[in-house]
Amino acid sequence: MMETRPDVHCDLMIIGCGMAGAAAALFASARGIDTIQVGMTGELNYASGLIDLLGVHPIAEGRKWDNPWAGIDRLVKDCPRHPYARLERRDMHTALSVFFSMLEMGGLPYTHTADRNLQIITPVGSVKSTYAVPETMKNGVRALEEKAPCLMVDFKGLKGYSSRQIAETLKTQWPKLRAGRLEFPDTGGDLFSEQLARRLDLPETLAHLAADIRGLVGQEAFVGLPAIVGLYKSRAAFEDLQRQVGLPLFEIAVMPPSVAGLRLRHVFEQQLPHRGVNTFFQQKVFSADYEKKRGFRFRVGTEEPQFVVHAKGAVLASGRFFGKGLHADRKEIRETVFGLPVHQTADRTGWHRKRLLDRRGHGINRSGLETDRFLRPLGVDGRPAFPTLHAAGSILAHQDWVRQKCGSGLAITTAYAAVKAFADLLV
Amino acid sequence: MVFTVTMVSAIIICLAGILYRFGRWFVVEIGPEAESVTIPERMAAAFTETVKIVFSPRIIFLVRGLFADVLLQLHLLRQSFWRWGMHMALFYGFGLLILMHALDDPLTRALFPWYESTLNPFFFLRNLFGLMVLIGAVIAVSRRLFLKRKGLFTSFADRFTLGLITTILLSGFALEAVQIGSEPIFDEMVVEYMDEDNEEVLDPLKVYWAAEYGVVFSRSMDTRNRSALRLGAEIHQEYCAYCHSHPVSAFVSYPLSRGVRAGAVFLNRIRADRFLRTCHFLAVFIALALLPFSKFFHLVSTPISLLVKRLGSTPNAPSEGRLNRRALALDACTHCGVCSLSCSVAPLYRLIPNPTILPSEKLATLRKKRIIPLLSGKEKSILSEGSFICTECRRCTDVCPSGIDLQDLWHASKQDLIRAGFPEPHLWIMRRTTAEWADQKASETVDNAPASLKSAGPINLTGRPESFASCVQCTTCTTVCPVVAAVDDPAEELDLTPQQVMNLLRLEMKQTAMGARMIWKCVTCYLCQEHCPQGVKVADVMYELRNIASDRFQPAEPEPSATGEEVRSKSGKGSKEK
Repeated sequence: MMETRPDVHCDLMIIGCGMAGAAAALFASARGIDTIQVGMTGELNYASGLIDLLGVHPIAEGRKWDNPWAGIDRLVKDCPRHPYARLERRDMHTALSVFFSMLEMGGLPYTHTADRNLQIITPVGSVKSTYAVPETMKNGVRALEEKAPCLMVDFKGLKGYSSRQIAETLKTQWPKLRAGRLEFPDTGGDLFSEQLARRLDLPETLAHLAADIRGLVGQEAFVGLPAIVGLYKSRAAFEDLQRQVGLPLFEIAVMPPSVAGLRLRHVFEQQLPHRGVNTFFQQKVFSADYEKKRGFRFRVGTEEPQFVVHAKGAVLASGRFFGKGLHADRKEIRETVFGLPVHQTADRTGWHRKRLLDRRGHGINRSGLETDRFLRPLGVDGRPAFPTLHAAGSILAHQDWVRQKCGSGLAITTAYAAVKAFADLLV
Repeated sequence: MVFTVTMVSAIIICLAGILYRFGRWFVVEIGPEAESVTIPERMAAAFTETVKIVFSPRIIFLVRGLFADVLLQLHLLRQSFWRWGMHMALFYGFGLLILMHALDDPLTRALFPWYESTLNPFFFLRNLFGLMVLIGAVIAVSRRLFLKRKGLFTSFADRFTLGLITTILLSGFALEAVQIGSEPIFDEMVVEYMDEDNEEVLDPLKVYWAAEYGVVFSRSMDTRNRSALRLGAEIHQEYCAYCHSHPVSAFVSYPLSRGVRAGAVFLNRIRADRFLRTCHFLAVFIALALLPFSKFFHLVSTPISLLVKRLGSTPNAPSEGRLNRRALALDACTHCGVCSLSCSVAPLYRLIPNPTILPSEKLATLRKKRIIPLLSGKEKSILSEGSFICTECRRCTDVCPSGIDLQDLWHASKQDLIRAGFPEPHLWIMRRTTAEWADQKASETVDNAPASLKSAGPINLTGRPESFASCVQCTTCTTVCPVVAAVDDPAEELDLTPQQVMNLLRLEMKQTAMGARMIWKCVTCYLCQEHCPQGVKVADVMYELRNIASDRFQPAEPEPSATGEEVRSKSGKGSKEK
């Protein structure tokens, strides 16, 4: 195969455009590192938009933590190989604050408190702890806390979201929650959240919706909606709707692909190139090789290799199975870019327990890359596979982010640590 | 006697044929206007329109057209010097041969009282014109033989026409060559014009004609006998010269005659001249009789078409005029293939072996029965596929040397196809819902399914599980799809959304997926494919489904339940949403 485009050069190559890759690119650009990023941004569609830091530990007991930092202390003690154990507490704070300020600048402000998880409602009516939520969900935290009279709105034809189910599930602890259903203005049939969000970027549709909501509101003090209020101009749309309805509103994250995740994705897609990251979105790394003198050479393209990226170092943030950073075949789990050794159970029978919903989780969900303290993946000999390759995010071993509720926090903080380690080693 | 009867019959057939073809221009119906216009109305419109133009300043357009398009054929010169050269040689060579050779008795002699076929300049000119036609024919044949470009079809009519022209020309030259060397004709002429049988007079003349005029006598002549030559020359001056120029003027036939002089005695004995004369005349009479029924008719129809074009474009004409012009168009086409060579969808013909993709062949199909309903179901089906591939880019119309408004013809014939129940392929699909298609095709297992279902050509995305293995049904493709966004209710108007189409493919329910209107309303904007987090080639898959479906669902015969009207009303409903 022929490379048809000219080679590009950089100091740091970031492989992956999910939460970890995007965060790594952000931190690298903040440090002024000459950075190239390659990967599919589509995975961010599946982000809920909630930033978890640590929700549950130990998972077998299902113990929830009100203070995530206290939870992390306990986690690190219990599981010293968890990626959080490799991180400095100060760096984690810095990472989160840089991350949130970038979102704010991108027009997507988030709300969090220093050391307390927020409690929010999910589309099925369960209550979830998370560290930070988009500002459009802030009032929901307050409404839930006060158990204030609240109207929960849904739309005819929108799947995976039912205000009635939310009200039914919560009725014992929140009796003043009332469910209401609207027809979405100017549409019918099956509704898709992304399309509704785009429509609500238009002032006419928004005004129409505000009038419909006003018609439905009784004595309630809050109104809850699925997270569909605007996509590109969500902040303005939300404030506009709130003003027109005349009550505090809040959004509830919807099933993926969720609009809250799409908003994150749009901020990254706009901010990263703007901040000087040389982005190659929707492209893949086909192969990588390394020479001590020249560093890495990556062959990159859409359908087939089209050009070569030369880099001194790299952050591997390619995710687990869904992001295709790991691949499970009939026999074993492989790392897809470098062929790095993957921590995994002795054989395939250990991947899963007998019961799908076993509270202890499954072996396969703790597989991934083992690293040194600079988050450098280890080779077969137990030493860093490459002197300037770092890993971040869900590809790291010994964590079960889904059950521990630490996905985004892990992605952001390990991305920060990986970039910092690269920068420190480069000097 | 036989000669006269043959000639008169040929002329009668020719004239009757021309009248018949003129009449047909008011009968052939292409286009929806035919429903509201009668034949007498069309005739009346043609008549009044002609009269109006002749007595109006617009006549200037016709005069200009006559010079530029018919006499000088400048439109051909603009396209290609060679084609212009070929056509001018054929046109003028043949035309002048007719005027100054075929019609010598009634016409040429009237204009030039001293006319004799063996006298210059006529002797020379006949050879010149003949050579022109021959050169034109050679270029035309070589173009068809050596210009091996896809899309240039040579039909029987093309071969027959070129063959007949060549036969006429070659028999003419051969006849003249044999006549030049003919002793029997010499003898006949002597009897007719000298009435002399004195050998002392005749012998010198024979010596002179053998030496100078190339006649080959069975008895060898002493052409070095100076006194006989001198005497012969004097007799020649007295009796022959006023009718006979030196045959060297016949610069084709004379060398030919000299070339065959070794066999001339034999040819004279068998009276080859009579045989060749019969051949020549027979070929000419055949051509004459067939003129209205063959490609030769374009001598009449194409100039009319070129002149009509000067009067304005077809779509602007009243409906009678449009119908008449389309009928004329079928006759004016010379099947030269220029349209097909510049057709912008011609490359598709390499992939889809349906000649009616090409304008020249589409017109040839229309010409077969001249009215679309008369074509067989299979022919209509083929014509429909070819017709609806056309993008109406207008290139064929712009280049047509016969001035035919092909664009208008395609527009009209497509409407006729729709009315006949052969609309665009996607309208077939709309006749049934996905579920109905699935029911109908449920009996088809993959084993007995048509080849198209098992493999979709070299790419075959839909046949490989890996194409959608990574689909997680996340609905990203559906939410970004502008087609889904544009309709009020996707389930009602599209049957399935993109992610549902992918799901059916994952379930190996390709038949059901193919019937979904989604795949036909897809605008191939590739948003789905670009947004798919799992890299599924959603748009490519749908495009492939579309191709397989159009292969499979299009029946050869129209279905009695679905008339053209029904299809149109359904499609009308569909197009409003866009």
